[in-house]
Amino acid sequence: MKLRTILRTIATSTFGIFLRDKLLIVFGALFVCVILMMMTPLLTLRARTTVSNMEGMQTYVLGVVSAIMYMVSGAGSLLAAWAAADAVSTEMKSGTILAVMARPVKRWEFLLGKYLGVLLLMACYVVMMFGLSYLLAWMGGQRVLAASWILLTYPMVRYAIYAAIAMAVATLAHPVLSWVFTLLLGLGAMLVVPGDEPMTKAALRWLSTGLYYLLPSTQFLSEHRFLNIKQATLRQTGWAEHLITLTYGVDYALVVLLLAMWSFHYRSLKRD
Amino acid sequence: MTVPALEFQKVTKTYRRRLGGQQVAALSRVSFSVAEGEVCAFLGPNGAGKTTSISILMGFLYADWGRIRVLGFAPGDVRAKKRIGFVPENFAFYKHLNAEKLLRFHAKLAGLAEENAATLISDLIAKVGLSSYGKLKIGRYSRGMVQRLGIAQSLLGDPELLILDEPTSGLDPSGRKEVRDVILSLKAAGKTIFLSSHLLSEVEQVCDQAVIIDRGRVIRAGTMNTLLETGDQVEIVANTLTEELEAELHEWGATVKRVIAANVGGQSVSVPSVSIVASGARKREIVERLWLAGSDVLRMNPVKGSLEDLYMKLVGKGDAA
Repeated sequence: MKLRTILRTIATSTFGIFLRDKLLIVFGALFVCVILMMMTPLLTLRARTTVSNMEGMQTYVLGVVSAIMYMVSGAGSLLAAWAAADAVSTEMKSGTILAVMARPVKRWEFLLGKYLGVLLLMACYVVMMFGLSYLLAWMGGQRVLAASWILLTYPMVRYAIYAAIAMAVATLAHPVLSWVFTLLLGLGAMLVVPGDEPMTKAALRWLSTGLYYLLPSTQFLSEHRFLNIKQATLRQTGWAEHLITLTYGVDYALVVLLLAMWSFHYRSLKRD
Repeated sequence: MTVPALEFQKVTKTYRRRLGGQQVAALSRVSFSVAEGEVCAFLGPNGAGKTTSISILMGFLYADWGRIRVLGFAPGDVRAKKRIGFVPENFAFYKHLNAEKLLRFHAKLAGLAEENAATLISDLIAKVGLSSYGKLKIGRYSRGMVQRLGIAQSLLGDPELLILDEPTSGLDPSGRKEVRDVILSLKAAGKTIFLSSHLLSEVEQVCDQAVIIDRGRVIRAGTMNTLLETGDQVEIVANTLTEELEAELHEWGATVKRVIAANVGGQSVSVPSVSIVASGARKREIVERLWLAGSDVLRMNPVKGSLEDLYMKLVGKGDAA
């Protein structure tokens, strides 16, 4: 049987489960509320905008786009981690995994299918956010001058890392623990980013540098590095830099995913 | 030499708690095998190790020790899983799907071509009596309906080996009969069936052999005929019996039971007869005396015990079916 059929079947099934997930529906509803709250002052401001006060409108639009970017960065990574942890644990908890694994499906194929289902969800999220930021900017009479592939690819690579970490931990521990662990890991990665002032203690500096290279550097993978939000335009960056950065991210995600597969291969499959 | 469909050799499994180090021995040197085309019952009280054994066979759990082969392959090997139909205990499905969609999902995973799957799925849904509920979401199914659906999905892809863990749990008597009929039809088609069940009377009707397990150890295994043999006793059924001969039979240690009604074709009909249970050594003598007394001998069979009696004797009252 073709690997592609198995992966597609499991991934689309996982995506279908997410779309019916109550927590995700609540998350989506809250999101719509926030967007509506953002749009209302925008529409009001647009009605009162003249050539003389255009700057105020621009500031507001850029603020909104910036907020969406942060939602893509922060909330998106947390969503990816939660979805990945939940994708495996829900199957274990309900016992549905037994029927699936009784089919000619290898364990790694199952996990990869689940992972792809999570990435499918996150792709929808990124596209939605991306479209929204353009819509809001358009409503405000502004333009987001950014290369769309960067705004789509960088978050996806970041989500791939967070999803892989959460999935790896979820093969060993409770999904909430997995999510919290991933959250702490993300916070840790942010804390160890080298600052302008070097650390005085050598041991602390080495530890910080070590962790900086070990933990998933979301700052390194952030599209903000290339986005000057004040002008809503991208800093010119060479292809080599993009290639190195994205390779680092994909490689990180792949290694963690392989660890998840290895851990999942040896775990007992039974109803939790 | 033909390869057994299932082979368990000295399989040992111990559950360990991650913290604290407490150990529970689930299986201890369990050995049995099931030949191709046989229907084997796997019996034992709750906690005996049945589900652990089945989980090991399916590759869900790893044994600590021992050799396990399923259709000649290691457990979990996709080459074996392609030829297996499995019904887990307390089957769980994606509740947002209906029966058709769920079976389509499993058909895809089983590698069935979509054009063949559509007909097969509607046939299977009809076979388990869910035709009227094919579009209803599984979340709204009763437990019995879910169990029927479990059996339908296990039959996808025409498997050679069926591993059924409590397939009739949650079913009403008619549902149980339907499952029994399905198992009998699969048996007639030459499928190998490994059936874990607590319904001993049904197991007795459909199985060729049984493995009885308790506290992680096999306590009896063999063909049903061997297991249920009670020695050399025979039952002789005659149409009449004189009182003098009855007294004489009692002196020989025989048990006499006068039967007024008999079950014929599911209906109780009045057929007076006499059932005599005696030692096989005296069967010829008894039959001759009956003929001399003018009685007709209707039938003579070796006396067999029931599986329930054997089970209770071996396992005790802890988990009566």
